[in-house]
Amino acid sequence: MNLVLPDVSFAPMLPLLLVLAGAIVSTLGGFWLPRRTLTALNVVFLLASGASLVWLWGAGADVPRSAFAGALRADPAALLLGGTVLLGALLTLLVSLDTAYRARVSFAEFDALLMYAVTGCLLIAFSGDLIVMLIGLEIMSLASYVLVTFQDSRRAEESGLKYFLLGSVGSAILIYGLAFLYGATGTLNYAGIAQQVSVLEPANLGVLVAGTLLVLAGFGFKISLVPFHQWTPDVYSGAPTLVSLFLSTVVKVAAFAGMLRVFGGALAAGPGWHAVLQVLVALTLLIGNAAALYQQNFKRLLAYSAVAHTGFLAMTLLGDTAQGGAALGYYLLVYTLMTVAALAIVAALQRTEEGMSVNDLRGLYYRHPAYAAALAVCLASLAGLPPFAGFFAKYLAFQVAFESGYVVVSLLAVLSSVAALVYYLRPAMLMFMPDRTPAREYAHGQRPATTFAVALSLIGIVVLGLLPNLWYGWVAPPEIWRLLAGT
Amino acid sequence: MTSLMLFLPLLGALLVLLTPVKWREEVAGFFAAVTLGLGLWLWRLGGEGLSVSPWVPPLGMTYAVELNGVGLAFALVTAFMTLMAVWYAARRVPNPGPMLAMVLAMETGLLGIFAARDLILFYVFFEWALIPSLLMLAVYGGPGRMRALVKFGAYTLLGSLLMLLSFIGYKWLGGSPTFALPDLLAHPVRGAAQTWLYLGFLAAMAVKLPLWPLHAWLPDFHEQNHESGVPDVMGTLYKVGGYGIFVFGLTLFPDASLELRPVLMGLAAFTALYAAWIAFHQSNWKRLLAYAGLSHMGFVALGLFSLNETAVIGAMYLLAFQNLYTGALFMAVGMLQERVGSLDTRVGGVMNQAGALGGLTLALWLASIAVPGFAGFVGEFSVLLGAYQVSPWLTFLAGLTTIAAAAYALTAFQRTFWEGRPLGAVRVADLRGTEWLVLVLPLLAALLFGVYSAPVLNLMQPAVRAALSSLGGQ
Repeated sequence: MNLVLPDVSFAPMLPLLLVLAGAIVSTLGGFWLPRRTLTALNVVFLLASGASLVWLWGAGADVPRSAFAGALRADPAALLLGGTVLLGALLTLLVSLDTAYRARVSFAEFDALLMYAVTGCLLIAFSGDLIVMLIGLEIMSLASYVLVTFQDSRRAEESGLKYFLLGSVGSAILIYGLAFLYGATGTLNYAGIAQQVSVLEPANLGVLVAGTLLVLAGFGFKISLVPFHQWTPDVYSGAPTLVSLFLSTVVKVAAFAGMLRVFGGALAAGPGWHAVLQVLVALTLLIGNAAALYQQNFKRLLAYSAVAHTGFLAMTLLGDTAQGGAALGYYLLVYTLMTVAALAIVAALQRTEEGMSVNDLRGLYYRHPAYAAALAVCLASLAGLPPFAGFFAKYLAFQVAFESGYVVVSLLAVLSSVAALVYYLRPAMLMFMPDRTPAREYAHGQRPATTFAVALSLIGIVVLGLLPNLWYGWVAPPEIWRLLAGT
Repeated sequence: MTSLMLFLPLLGALLVLLTPVKWREEVAGFFAAVTLGLGLWLWRLGGEGLSVSPWVPPLGMTYAVELNGVGLAFALVTAFMTLMAVWYAARRVPNPGPMLAMVLAMETGLLGIFAARDLILFYVFFEWALIPSLLMLAVYGGPGRMRALVKFGAYTLLGSLLMLLSFIGYKWLGGSPTFALPDLLAHPVRGAAQTWLYLGFLAAMAVKLPLWPLHAWLPDFHEQNHESGVPDVMGTLYKVGGYGIFVFGLTLFPDASLELRPVLMGLAAFTALYAAWIAFHQSNWKRLLAYAGLSHMGFVALGLFSLNETAVIGAMYLLAFQNLYTGALFMAVGMLQERVGSLDTRVGGVMNQAGALGGLTLALWLASIAVPGFAGFVGEFSVLLGAYQVSPWLTFLAGLTTIAAAAYALTAFQRTFWEGRPLGAVRVADLRGTEWLVLVLPLLAALLFGVYSAPVLNLMQPAVRAALSSLGGQ
């Protein structure tokens, strides 16, 4: 009998497999080992996965870069985006060492699901066809639904249910859209779709456009693009802060990686979606920023700010893939650093998982000088003030939109940035105002891991702000992003 | 050398925060003095030419700095007044560490603005200077600071983001490989696009200048700042709008400058008159000074937008030295507040007990309203002389401001320092120690360069000629 083995090469899967190993170890090890040990183990697994990314980046041509006939691809784009995902996950784990217990999510299942979610995220970044992307997306989503619900509280359950219901609707729409895409092009492979899109018969055009728009809507749910954003503030503020941190960074980075693969790669030349995305981006910028202006709760404010940043991030998808991909690659890393640091500080200082009110921040500088200064830097960076990295991220987004001819969108982005400055500035400045009322922070406990994570992010924000080329130099080469859809 | 001067104050700011409380004032003073010394040395060497090194090569951003000509003059004034501010803050502000650090951090931003010859680098320094000024307002400001802060931040950022878009557009439409000024000049944008881009650029500069109707943040900003006036000194140094228009606006957008000249000159003249009118009605010293500054800025803008060589030199001269006496006046007001506990102009009779403070304040006011013999006169006269050749009527209107200035300055001075002393008022002490230095040195500088303007004019004239040469021999 002649057994034909499928084209399976493990090298490109290595980063995924390492994270998956962490997930499995946590699932089983939870019976015998304390959670902190598992977390430490998972940190090691994440670092190893990161090391394998570096190895794949530098390895010679003899190491295969794709598995399953191109369905899984460890191309440079996947490695760069995967690195951002891993960094976000690592920082989440670090923060969880200090705050998981208080948030009542300190058990092995938390780690296990987190690692499963990261596996899904990586799978999206490494995907070479729509099915792999979908599998990754579902693994990620299912794990995050549970993560949100984990805390034994009504708020968490409510937000978990909301996330699950709306997320499933989003997934359903996405799957429907994928079916249309398959119907129109006859292939699920990105490269195949890209090829078909350019030579499409008019008869299939309608199906293709319908599929594209459905996929756009499905992704819209995942990245919380207006008008698909309604779940975001509720879920982010209802979930434990630690989980909000994970959702708003790692999960969002992965969803954007998927969008980049599908829209920047497979459908780059596709019809129709640019115009629709342009409108959605404009709406996101306006509504996300305007709604954030009126938030009294700081955690909720950050949730809306995450929506607003979606608008900026999605601006990069409007442009030419080579330029837009580079901008998105840079932005995602910086966004991860800024958001992780800001939410980590909230997680460390809040008294309850509801976060703190903006007014509670008054005088924080005189109680926790280092955290206050760090939070101020994060907020300044989120607002896009130089010399912090957020400025270059915004700059790149502006540049992509402007140079691709979306002048109106970039002007709107400017106007909404002013609103953003107002809501970032208020908490940032309140912290430095002298205050004589008693402290409103959770005063007890050591927070070395959180401090370390915040310090790490802060160094990133400042260094990448002064020398953006340290990271931009890696993501800048246009050939990386031209490969998105395969060769 | 230029870079050393730029980043020395920042280093000082970091060190101030790290040194024990006891030594902070000395450290801050040392760094401010060394920076000034470096600046003076650079002046002796005749400035330092352009040096370009890559910063973010894929995006065409460069670290291009140059410190000579007009920029050097501004940098010198900045370094000088920073030293004054540091001296005064050390004496006046309780626990001055954070304030000193922010003053020094802001100095780096300001010097960077005057040295940058790359649009993005300019933008970065432009916003950099914003952060310490916001923090100073937040930490040391008055009760209404949040509103002032948000207003200031929002105006500034709206302007500067539009400017950023216009920078992106300029490079892209012109096809320049980098954002460095020489490259951009070699790849100019022409036609209607230039006008649009100029409007975007102007949005930022008009907010900072400030030009009516984008000035609304200015009085609140000054009113809510710490009473000592130290943050206001930095605020007056912050008027980088005029400089930005001079160094980038006139050179990169020559056609648009000519095209918009009548409108902009009209706005400038209106700003000067309108601000003087409002200043006349102020009863708070800081608001009065803010509007007086605004009125002077209208003059600066008039000179700049007239695109006439004499007027532009005058505008730059005025802009440079306006910082000296307005900054010193802000500190004098701070001293007044320390003594009588109020910033109100209707105090009365302070002159009886604090003769030196009154005398110096009057002298500074005379400098500010451009009495001949002071630096302001050279500037204002040149502006009027040059602008008259371009638009006599507008210049006449703006010229009325000089009369209005005398009216508001002398009225306010008379009310505070003469008139009757209220019964039961506290006894007012006269100037002591550093207070003398802080007021006398700027006054002497204004006097020196009012009488002997050649060195500064020699520094500025070639730069102005070069900037205006792109306009076709105007």
